[in-house]
Amino acid sequence: MKSNFLKLVLPAFAILLAVGLAFATEEKVTFQQGHYYDTSVQQWKSIPAEAGCDEDGEYPCLHDGYQLYSLPSFGSTPLAKDEP
Amino acid sequence: MSFKGIHSKLVTLFSLLLTILFVYTAVSKLVHLDLFQWRLERMPYISPYASLISWVVPFLELVIAGILWFPKYQTMAFYASFILLGLFTTYIIIVLKYSDSIPCSCGGVISALGWKHHILLNITFMVLALLGILWTKKQYNMQSHQNTT
Repeated sequence: MKSNFLKLVLPAFAILLAVGLAFATEEKVTFQQGHYYDTSVQQWKSIPAEAGCDEDGEYPCLHDGYQLYSLPSFGSTPLAKDEP
Repeated sequence: MSFKGIHSKLVTLFSLLLTILFVYTAVSKLVHLDLFQWRLERMPYISPYASLISWVVPFLELVIAGILWFPKYQTMAFYASFILLGLFTTYIIIVLKYSDSIPCSCGGVISALGWKHHILLNITFMVLALLGILWTKKQYNMQSHQNTT
């Protein structure tokens, strides 16, 4: 009885916990938008930057060789990351 | 507590942890499917299959999470978990040898981890899956032995 109860309750608990966590952390995970100036078409483009890219860091965040910026402007902060 | 009892409880705990991991990452990927697909399109070697992979991976994760709770298929589910995590970890290691800047194609807060931590997390869960394989097999052998005697 106890075993059957656990066999049903445990997976249900795990699934509910995982789904709840997925939605709960969804709002907290913010992906820094990166902007780069594409010289071939001479205009600014926006992409979601890779994980860890923000306004502080040692290594530049690049996309196809272009430096990513926090805003579509060369005057804005170049995005960088802590790990290469 | 008997040897069998401890292992049985640990196998249940590993199933629970793997279920949480797979359901969590699958739901996170499906919620941000566009972002997941975008990231896959920028991954070396697999980019031509980004659209297919973006559906197959969360689907497989949910299926594995489900079959982990059917005793008949539990060993198979542990094998599948080990293979899926192993493939992903191997791929990451190979890619990182050639490129040091790839977007993480993982789900949820896991994508905020660095690659080294991500590999460490994968290896930890691979060890759990491996222990799950060994102990479910042991349980199965003990049950078979009891039935024949």
